[in-house]
Amino acid sequence: MKLVLNGKQINCSASLTVSELLIEQKVKMPEMVSVELNGQILRRHEFDSTILKEDDQVELLYFMGGGN
Amino acid sequence: MKDDTLAIHGGFKDDSSSGATTVPIYQTVSYAYKTAQELADVFDGKAPGYIYTRIANPTTAALEARLTELEDGIGCIATSSGMAAIASVVMGLVRAGDEIVAAAGIFGGTVSLFKNTLGRFDVKTTLVDAADSERFAKAVNKKTKLIFIETIGNPRMDVPDIPAIAEIAHRANIPLIVDNTVTTPFLVKPKKFGADIVVHSTSKFINGHGTAIGGAIIDTGSYDWSDGPFEDIKQLSGKAGQLAFLTHLRSLIYRDLGGCPAPMNSFLMLQGLETLPGRMAKHCENAKKSAQFLRNNPKVNWVNYPGLPDSNFYNNVVRLFNGHGGGLLTFGLGNKQKAFKFIDSVKLAKNLANLGDAKTLVIHPSSTIFHEFSIEDQKKMGITEDMVRVSVGIEDFEDIRCDFEQAIEKTCKVEK
Repeated sequence: MKLVLNGKQINCSASLTVSELLIEQKVKMPEMVSVELNGQILRRHEFDSTILKEDDQVELLYFMGGGN
Repeated sequence: MKDDTLAIHGGFKDDSSSGATTVPIYQTVSYAYKTAQELADVFDGKAPGYIYTRIANPTTAALEARLTELEDGIGCIATSSGMAAIASVVMGLVRAGDEIVAAAGIFGGTVSLFKNTLGRFDVKTTLVDAADSERFAKAVNKKTKLIFIETIGNPRMDVPDIPAIAEIAHRANIPLIVDNTVTTPFLVKPKKFGADIVVHSTSKFINGHGTAIGGAIIDTGSYDWSDGPFEDIKQLSGKAGQLAFLTHLRSLIYRDLGGCPAPMNSFLMLQGLETLPGRMAKHCENAKKSAQFLRNNPKVNWVNYPGLPDSNFYNNVVRLFNGHGGGLLTFGLGNKQKAFKFIDSVKLAKNLANLGDAKTLVIHPSSTIFHEFSIEDQKKMGITEDMVRVSVGIEDFEDIRCDFEQAIEKTCKVEK
């Protein structure tokens, strides 16, 4: 399945949840990431239940670091 | 997950390294990286990571995640106090020459911040009667950058019409900031009624035991930062999206003001949150019973509790808080002397400057929280010299009633 992650098109497994995407993409410190899916911030408890679809736009945001 | 569950489990899965089920206290100033490049990438925002506890801390991050869930927001920044939360939010939005419109009956510390401290930086604040939403519309002008209200004005006990005031703010394309300290997300989620930013003094009901000072800022995700009158935040929204305001705070205002919580205090807030749903229910039940008891006592001149059906704000309490009037009430015995005598006579209740504790607390607002304001200004803020404020605790109601009854008897005996 193709989707856009931080502005770049990537290939990932089909029917991934957001939590699974973070693992598959080896995202460091997933507890620190905020996920914007198609322009809307996802609530953290929705990471496990939100299933990604073809061409979804996913932005991983780190607003904790202070260096933005 | 439902709110009662989120209060216990929200924002934290068992610690990955130890399996600890309680959020560990990361009592550290800083965080080491193996290479110079790794730390440089974190500073640059290219990689996630903690830098310095003044900016972020894992214990505090768990508290922020839980509060985000409970307020149905998109993100949170925990602060060293409620005042640090309000100062960070407001200083993140206003510049010299800008204006604030706020409800008149709010916490004295907040009024002082707006009028005295921010007044020194050429920021003007107009206070308006929270009971009349149209006054907010009349007070807003082109210089106004935000409207600030409390869910229940402390200690005026007025309950503003949050949806009507939100509409006024949004018509002017400015955010509505709502202080949800005295109601907590368990009585109302201000987002539901149009709030853009929610602030808390977590030292109160959230902590619940008078053990730590803290505050929090939650962005509800309702305000479009890419389209507001805040140029620097607008520019950030290209990169940070909906999180533009919190990024603006975390990477500038909050970072520079230095109002971060101690990790130990964040832990104490997390502990408090776990029991908050049950405590709030009991606070409300005991406060309503206390208000009814005081109302029925002929020696008491007046009682102000928004959860009483004859309160001017009862309709808003029903509409916004599902009928729960909160844990605070005020009452009067006729004059300042009697107010002092009552406070001196209580045995169970504590005379101190705090609210939301498991213990019943009393205070004379005029001579304490509002002492820096003239009696005339106090009247405008709804403070009278005979007012006693009670933060009704979660003890057995009969013990609270007996304590108040004996204190009223003692007070009125002196008068004869």
